[in-house]
Amino acid sequence: MTNILRKTLLAGLALPLLSSAAMAGEVTLLFWPGPESEAMQKVLDAYNAGPGKTDGITVKQLLFSRQGYFEKEQADLAAGSSEFDLALVTTYTLGRYAPYLDPIDAQVPAEVKAAFAPVSLQSLTLDGKLYGVPTDISVHFLYYRKDLVDRLLSDTEWQKRYAAIAKEKLGREMQPKAPDDWSWDDWIAAALFFSAADNPDSPTRFGTVLQMKNLIFNIMLWQATLVSNGGDWLADGRPAIDGPAARTGLQVYKTLIDAKATPPGSISYEYPEANAAFQAGQAATMLQWNAAFNELNDPAKSPTVAGKIGLAPLPAGSAGHKSHVHSLGIGLNTASKNKADAGKVVAWLATKDAMTVYAQAGGTPPVPEILKSMAAARPEFPLVGDFVDRYGFVVTGGTAAYAVPVYEVLAEKFSAFWAGQIDLDTALKQAAEGMAERIKG
Amino acid sequence: MASAAGIGRRPYEGRWDGLWLLGPLLLFLALLLGFPAVANLVYSLSEVRFTGLWSPRWVGLDNYATVLADPAFWGAVGFSARFAVVVTVAQLLLGFALVLALDPLIAKRRWLMAFLLLPMMVSPALLGVMYRLMLNDFVGVIPQYLQLVGFSGNLLDADWAFTTVAVIEVLQWTPFAVLALLTAYQAIPGELVEAARIDGAGSWSVFRRITLPLMVPALAITGFIRFIDSFRVFDHIYVLTGGGPGTLTQSLSIYIYRTFFQQERIGPAVAASMLLLLASIVVLRLLMAQMLRGSRG
Amino acid sequence: MTRLVAGLRWVVFLLAVLILNIPVIVTLLTSLKTTLDINAYPPVWLFAPTLEHYGTVLTDPALDFPRYLMNSTVIALGGTVLALGLGVPAAYAMAKLGKGTTTILPVVTNLRALPLVIFAIPFYLLYQALGLLDTRLGLALISCIINLPLALILLVGFLQDLPQEIEEAARVDGASTFAVLRHIVLPLARPVLVAVAILSFIYSWNEFLFGLILSTRNAVPVTVGATFFITSWGVKWGATAAAMMLSVLPPLLLGLVSYRYLGRAMLAGAVKG
Repeated sequence: MTNILRKTLLAGLALPLLSSAAMAGEVTLLFWPGPESEAMQKVLDAYNAGPGKTDGITVKQLLFSRQGYFEKEQADLAAGSSEFDLALVTTYTLGRYAPYLDPIDAQVPAEVKAAFAPVSLQSLTLDGKLYGVPTDISVHFLYYRKDLVDRLLSDTEWQKRYAAIAKEKLGREMQPKAPDDWSWDDWIAAALFFSAADNPDSPTRFGTVLQMKNLIFNIMLWQATLVSNGGDWLADGRPAIDGPAARTGLQVYKTLIDAKATPPGSISYEYPEANAAFQAGQAATMLQWNAAFNELNDPAKSPTVAGKIGLAPLPAGSAGHKSHVHSLGIGLNTASKNKADAGKVVAWLATKDAMTVYAQAGGTPPVPEILKSMAAARPEFPLVGDFVDRYGFVVTGGTAAYAVPVYEVLAEKFSAFWAGQIDLDTALKQAAEGMAERIKG
Repeated sequence: MASAAGIGRRPYEGRWDGLWLLGPLLLFLALLLGFPAVANLVYSLSEVRFTGLWSPRWVGLDNYATVLADPAFWGAVGFSARFAVVVTVAQLLLGFALVLALDPLIAKRRWLMAFLLLPMMVSPALLGVMYRLMLNDFVGVIPQYLQLVGFSGNLLDADWAFTTVAVIEVLQWTPFAVLALLTAYQAIPGELVEAARIDGAGSWSVFRRITLPLMVPALAITGFIRFIDSFRVFDHIYVLTGGGPGTLTQSLSIYIYRTFFQQERIGPAVAASMLLLLASIVVLRLLMAQMLRGSRG
Repeated sequence: MTRLVAGLRWVVFLLAVLILNIPVIVTLLTSLKTTLDINAYPPVWLFAPTLEHYGTVLTDPALDFPRYLMNSTVIALGGTVLALGLGVPAAYAMAKLGKGTTTILPVVTNLRALPLVIFAIPFYLLYQALGLLDTRLGLALISCIINLPLALILLVGFLQDLPQEIEEAARVDGASTFAVLRHIVLPLARPVLVAVAILSFIYSWNEFLFGLILSTRNAVPVTVGATFFITSWGVKWGATAAAMMLSVLPPLLLGLVSYRYLGRAMLAGAVKG
């Protein structure tokens, strides 16, 4: 009896050891569920059937829930888990995870890098080293209702109304322009025009729909107002978030919510809520991530607005049009027990073949050549490539270890300001103080 | 009448009663909680990073000082306290009322309880996600109905956020109060009520002089449990508002979570939790005597 | 008059169930709507139902939902049985023999006041060393710890109200503590045991954070699995709603079964008179 128990105990203890020993030729990629992982699966299938067969490597995905994903990844990496060899990395968490990742400059030589948009590589680079193959790029568009704006540009009655509202609310008479040429003021004027609160004849209830929830992604969206007006997170290594550009930027949003040009619920909106408003035809314009276009332009999913959407760069400030970009990428886990094989997979992932499969399966790889070639299937792709190149920026410190903590403090203070909890000066002061603390670390 | 552990056994007590009754529990706690408790104590007194989980750096009481000086900490404590009081009172009142109204019905068909308990069986995290859909200004059903009765505010804005998250909590956990209070209510001896009625007492009199006093311990225990739980509220608020707008709905758990994971300040986060533990110990000391006395004597 | 009162009680019951369960009802309806209907503005109440979301949840190749349900069931049952097994004797010792009321009970109760997040990393490290990561046993042990405070509070509270006479009578007859516990106390305590079991199961079932941090692929509970349809670019509401409805079924069934069992026990006169 005791013998059997002892054997069982030993067997039980040995099992964990067995299962965690990496099978040679098996590579695990950590990812989160969603359209990206579905697309990535097609890429991995292609690899397993092609180069994988030659190299004797099989790649599988391991999915962690998107809820609490970063916390889980943090815990696993910090504890030196070897459950996965490759891992999803993002621009804003790069600094946090870099200590646990191996740079991949060796696997991705210069000629392979050349195919990628430079800012996308920059968005996954820290201290001069590349930590991930950029597989998805995110950039912002100004979405607008083409049908309504076209009418605005041709209907003199509407133009008179537009000028009157601009004069009343913004202090000067303005004439509508094409969205590609909008400055922030032009956009505000248009949003006011398309709001029922300011214009009883407006075809939509709200001129725009903002995302003002206490969430780091909303700051990424907002910070175009900062950078396009010449601002940045840091100036000479010190926080510059309380400068005039930030002030202007914050006021853009506040003006709109005070004028009821965006739904009052906007202070708790993020990506899906904004989409719901635009999709329902309730908002005439929207600052939003590029990923929304596919769904909004699909007549089966968005019957009200499909086919009526125009895309423009985010409105220009004194420094022109700018848009925050960040990338999703694949990095190499330092604790991996199968680095040689994992390295080969990474090297292949960076090739045009892999990225083409990914793009066709629904991803948005920052490879301008591929993006341009798929204009028929994905009409927004050429714009993505174009905007990333011409307007894309990564804030100073955007990949540093303090990036998320800084985003967090900005989200907290700015959303409080927009909700009317604190005033502008307090928000800027506390944001700068919070930023200094987080950077000091 | 509690005798201190180990001193003065009663005549019929077995010699090893204390050991085999309490032993397994103690062993379990020691084995499983020993390391985490020590780790947390050390972390609260150290500066520790995710890159060096096994090598914390001693800083003494610095973390505690940082936390106590942080207005966000006190804001979170204030929110949690207000929230806990409001929802606990609401749950006790509603729960008790439901028990009084429904006991005869449920006594005969116990399985009906399962439907009253259903709200608790949904994970609060998932519940928060579904509420995002339900409260959506455009496609959500709740705003649609509120507009029918003339309400056009937004349920997650600065004015309504607190109420909204409180109502969600009350809806989900009143069944707990019902369950706990019903168990106690049904344990009230029938003869006491019979005797009183025979003596000519009316319903209100029976309630005031028999039911209520006998229910006080259960109300106290249920209230205490719900208070602690709602003080610790995290899941549905985090998913719905993220603690916002700003920090308007940031509970202490959300504050600690954010400090721990997003700001990566492990030391202060654990220190804040230790402070919470301290407060809990003090409050519990005061309440314990009350709770344990119960209805005996 | 009594008929009217009885009728009123039913009305109160139905209203209570309806109002308290609004989120569950809306989720159920959402799980049966097509995606187009879910996104309809204004929201629709009459629609052609569809089972496609349930199909998605149960057959998605990247998701193993039946396994998650099984995991959660095993974890919750294990945690509940363990919590009762450890808690009942301890509660008896505290309530009837007065041992540990000033030391253990406060310590365990105070545990409940702590936000669990600070235990995430220490437990991760501990489990990593013990090989308990990503195991159902590991998560069941956590479940037990989470439920012990509540179990002890409720059990002690109930047991101390049990009258001494029955026990004393048995003692005088020479019964050991173990016998008293088994033959007298346990049967009388059935209502609170059922309540504690149901609550423990529910709390274990709903646990998210530890389920997330301490599992990887084998022991993933349904609370984590159901968030599969939350993506960076929005939530697949239909599938999430279906996943939620499926995950509510086991606790609901447990509740129904427990109460039938309890009902029979009550009718058999186990209640002290």
